[in-house]
Amino acid sequence: MAKTQVSFNLNGQDVDVLVEPRELLIHVLREQLQLTGSHIGCETSHCGACTVDVNGQSIKSCTMLAVQAQGATVMTVEGLAAGGELHPLQQAFMDEHGLQCGFCTPGMLMRGYRFLQENPNPSEEEIRTGMAGNLCRCTGYQNIIKSIQTAAAALNADTGSQAE
Amino acid sequence: MQVTINKVFPLDGSVSDAWNLLENIEQVASCMPGAEITETVDENNFKGSVKVKIGPMHVAFNGDIAVQEINPGEHQVHLIAKGQDSKGTSSASMDLTASVRTGESGTSELTGDADVTVNGKLANFGGRMMTQVADQILGQFADNFSSKLGASADSEASAQTASEPEPQVQEINGLKFAWQALIGFIKSFFTRKA
Amino acid sequence: MSAVPETMERQDQLQGIGCSRKRKEDPRFIQGKGLYVDDVKLPGMLCGEVVRSPFAHAKIVSINKEKALALPGVHAVITAEDLKPLSLHWMPTLAGDTQAVLADEKVCFQMQEVAMVVADDRYIAADAAELVEVEYEQLPALVDPHKAMDADAPIIREDLVGKDEAGQGKRTHNNHIFTWDVGDKDATDRAFENAEVTVREDILNPRVHPSPMETCGCVASFDKVNGSLTVHITSQAPHIVRTVVTLLSGIPESKVRIISPDIGGGFGNKVGVYPGYVCAIVSSIVLGRPVKWIESRIDNISTTAFARDYHGVGELAADKDGRITALRFHALADHGAFNAHAQPTKWPAGLFSICTGSYDIPVAYARVDGVYTNKAPGGVAYRCSFRVTEAVYLIERMIDVLAQKLDIDKAEIRRRNFIQADQFPYQSALGWEYDSGNYAPALEKVLEACDYEGLRKEQAEKRAKGELMGIGLCTFTEIVGAGPSKACDVLGVGMFDSCEIRVHPTGSAIARMGTITQGQGHETTYAQIIATELGLSSDEIQIEEGDTDTAPYGLGTYGSRSTPVGGAATAMAARTIRAKAQKIAAHLLEVSPEDVEWDIDRFQVKGNPDAVKTMKEVAWAAYNNVPEGMEMGLETVNYYDPPNFTYPFGIYLCVVDIDRHTGETSIRRFYALDDCGTRINPMIIDGQIHGGLNEAFAVAMGQLISFDEDGNLQGNTLMDYFIPTFVETPHWETDYTVTPSPHHPLGAKGVAESPHVGGIPCFSNAIVDAFAHKGVTHVDMPHTAFNVWKTIHELGLDS
Repeated sequence: MAKTQVSFNLNGQDVDVLVEPRELLIHVLREQLQLTGSHIGCETSHCGACTVDVNGQSIKSCTMLAVQAQGATVMTVEGLAAGGELHPLQQAFMDEHGLQCGFCTPGMLMRGYRFLQENPNPSEEEIRTGMAGNLCRCTGYQNIIKSIQTAAAALNADTGSQAE
Repeated sequence: MQVTINKVFPLDGSVSDAWNLLENIEQVASCMPGAEITETVDENNFKGSVKVKIGPMHVAFNGDIAVQEINPGEHQVHLIAKGQDSKGTSSASMDLTASVRTGESGTSELTGDADVTVNGKLANFGGRMMTQVADQILGQFADNFSSKLGASADSEASAQTASEPEPQVQEINGLKFAWQALIGFIKSFFTRKA
Repeated sequence: MSAVPETMERQDQLQGIGCSRKRKEDPRFIQGKGLYVDDVKLPGMLCGEVVRSPFAHAKIVSINKEKALALPGVHAVITAEDLKPLSLHWMPTLAGDTQAVLADEKVCFQMQEVAMVVADDRYIAADAAELVEVEYEQLPALVDPHKAMDADAPIIREDLVGKDEAGQGKRTHNNHIFTWDVGDKDATDRAFENAEVTVREDILNPRVHPSPMETCGCVASFDKVNGSLTVHITSQAPHIVRTVVTLLSGIPESKVRIISPDIGGGFGNKVGVYPGYVCAIVSSIVLGRPVKWIESRIDNISTTAFARDYHGVGELAADKDGRITALRFHALADHGAFNAHAQPTKWPAGLFSICTGSYDIPVAYARVDGVYTNKAPGGVAYRCSFRVTEAVYLIERMIDVLAQKLDIDKAEIRRRNFIQADQFPYQSALGWEYDSGNYAPALEKVLEACDYEGLRKEQAEKRAKGELMGIGLCTFTEIVGAGPSKACDVLGVGMFDSCEIRVHPTGSAIARMGTITQGQGHETTYAQIIATELGLSSDEIQIEEGDTDTAPYGLGTYGSRSTPVGGAATAMAARTIRAKAQKIAAHLLEVSPEDVEWDIDRFQVKGNPDAVKTMKEVAWAAYNNVPEGMEMGLETVNYYDPPNFTYPFGIYLCVVDIDRHTGETSIRRFYALDDCGTRINPMIIDGQIHGGLNEAFAVAMGQLISFDEDGNLQGNTLMDYFIPTFVETPHWETDYTVTPSPHHPLGAKGVAESPHVGGIPCFSNAIVDAFAHKGVTHVDMPHTAFNVWKTIHELGLDS
């Protein structure tokens, strides 16, 4: 299969890769671009361990061809900490024990990041529904919910908006 | 994984015309979408192939058809077809008894009773749709059979018609069937069978 | 007094035992910098993909590799034929059986490994796997374990024909693996004959699968130049893997390095050695290049260690006041096509004999018959503590059955049967010495917290209105911390564990253990133990596990054994260091060692509070100023052979509301009180409880690995296999009591599997309780909406 050049913005930097049309974005991120933070947990788009942010949306990168990323703005977990400072979500996950084995964590963080943009003051039920595309076996979800609530409060305090 | 299918299809034509068609295994095979006889071993044994497409998955089954019994008195054919897909990931077999008869309303009917056994990938992933997809495939078969029956009656009437192009061996499009099966399934909630 | 706040401040600064300190391993995970096996990339690395059998039982007529080998980028296609000259086409299992590495002449379960292709990358490997042409001749499949020992049952294991044993004692039929029993059969039978009341139920533990988020895999790298093999592998027992690799390959352990890096969840799924690992290792040795093999989720669910599949009959004998006089149990265990049961050698039913539970049962008898079927091998996995899930399910379901029969309240019947606090250490009828327990007050604590009386009143009111509400109780004792080497070994290696600690001159330390975390937080909790024992901040104690080149030999992490065994080794090692440090301190203080005493982080001359040497000062001295005749340095290694298992316990209460039209169960409340003895990090314990309860919820309410009559897997992808999401998962409430273990150096017992072991019967008990007023005594798992609806419909409750 002849390869195609794909160019996109990844974590604030422009990148170019040469890919086969059938290559999945998750594989290109992990192998060619050496960003192994996004993980593979299934092959049926259920687990969400591969969740990244593409053009302002949560995308399961196992269900997207690399060629579809042409011209897109892509963010992975490696791009969350801006300027060397952890994102409030990352800090919150550590403060609230929102991770154990860490395998689902990048996906949770990336989905959490976009979710809080979509819904800055979520109720617990809204968090459960909004995060339902990401599976976890270790935490029983409870502390992840706390982490998101803590991050929401921190983000809202930062922006000066009213926390619920 | 085994499913049992019992179907009755109305036919346009006489029982004797239908029987002539039914006992011609090669003609019958060509009514099955995506199927063809590739080799006639002897008058009761054939090799055939069926192509199935489920979304991006193309599966080509190769197998044997063995006629167990042809009963002209009952207008009944009993055959067993067995095959594996070329990649060796699925196997299927069908024990089919098909007959033509005069139905209650006086028109001809094609009846089919089949035990279909599927193993391998198709059984893993296709299990839930098996009966519905089989229904659809047999429905298509019956339509083709009926058309052929109608065409053969016509061609007797008109001496020289442009030769019927042999139907293209099209693939069975599983997704299309699955969609139709889904529609059929939903519809079945709202329609009462006569 | 000013001394007290200062003492507390010194204590707090250590962030030692009891502190809910944040985890030290988190920073890399939240930045996507963890190192899991699939993250490992070595120069020249190739990719392996397994070709699998589509049929549950078939002869292999031929394998044609031509087309696969002709594909550019393919380096090898390995089959059993290629492994035969190395005698590697079969490998030993942990249960004394053998397992085909690649199918030799026949396949015995759907998805069994038939060949491995090795190619430049995963895409070419996937293409090549499809090009391998395998011709099969299907055979009738044996799927129902109850038919395994029929006279006309298909023979699955041709290799065992004529052999009257398969590693676990005498077998009576070709599909029979073992018969194991424990207890006093005659006395038990007599007790049943003489009993005032007996109850009996068919108890099913359906086949399920742990499905950690990370699947299994490895990167095998053989260095031809120095003849050494390095394998990065998802393993819960890296040292065992190293020993097995040596035994199989002949490469000495000194030249085999096994590295378990970060592991994305184990839950017992990553204990055994899988064919994929062996094929990757062989390919690497033959090709002289690293070979990576990572299985897919479908591979994982279909072929790696499943859990349960116990088909049992449970019986209790009792007096009319509900005092149990005897327990009897008989199960058929479906082990799949090979007995790859992860167990200590002599325990074919694991630690099932804990099934007398938290109750003072005078006599008992249990028997398990293991059989082969055309399914994937395994049986022990999924946070089960070696079949303890099955054992606790049995007793906790049966005591509810007894309660219903006698119309005794389900909490009350437990009170009447509990082992009392003054009976510990307690000798159970099936041979265990429970170290400690205090069940009755814990039960009262939970009942009060949940207003049990109020709940029963509410239930009565709801029943009068035709509504379905259930209250589930589970008061379990489990057994963990395998184990004393005289009873427990893995392939002949006793189940001790180890810890090596080295304190640096400037007072920080590094420690390595023979266990391996898969999310349990060892980098934090072990540091906390050492912090308290050595008076150094846990921030400055580096914990490493999983590299067999550096870690002392250990048996790994499963069966909640890290704290009971590894934690004990850690404490003992630290105490050895502290004993040496005391002598150095005395030397520095110019007194004799008996004249100094330890105080949190320093040695102090008795009666002279100003004469102190901190551990940090001692550490420096250890490298330049030690007493005459003493060796320099401050380090040690401890191999700890536990004198006994530990017996954590718990009291769980669950409230459910069932929609009588849809069968949907809403978990209104789940209250979990756990007693794991000394609590090292309460935050981590709570996290473990949440996780274990979630997995219990999954098993009880929806998980099932099922087969059709020909052995085709039904539902082996996440489309069907129930992994609860945020939406279904209930809210968890946790509580605790502390009953230390008398034999453990820290009094700690281990806790990670308790929530799974205790959670499952709690959910089941709640569901059955919802129908108890209609005479329902037992309903099998999983309690899906459909299954629950079937019960509703049969009882006519949905009209």
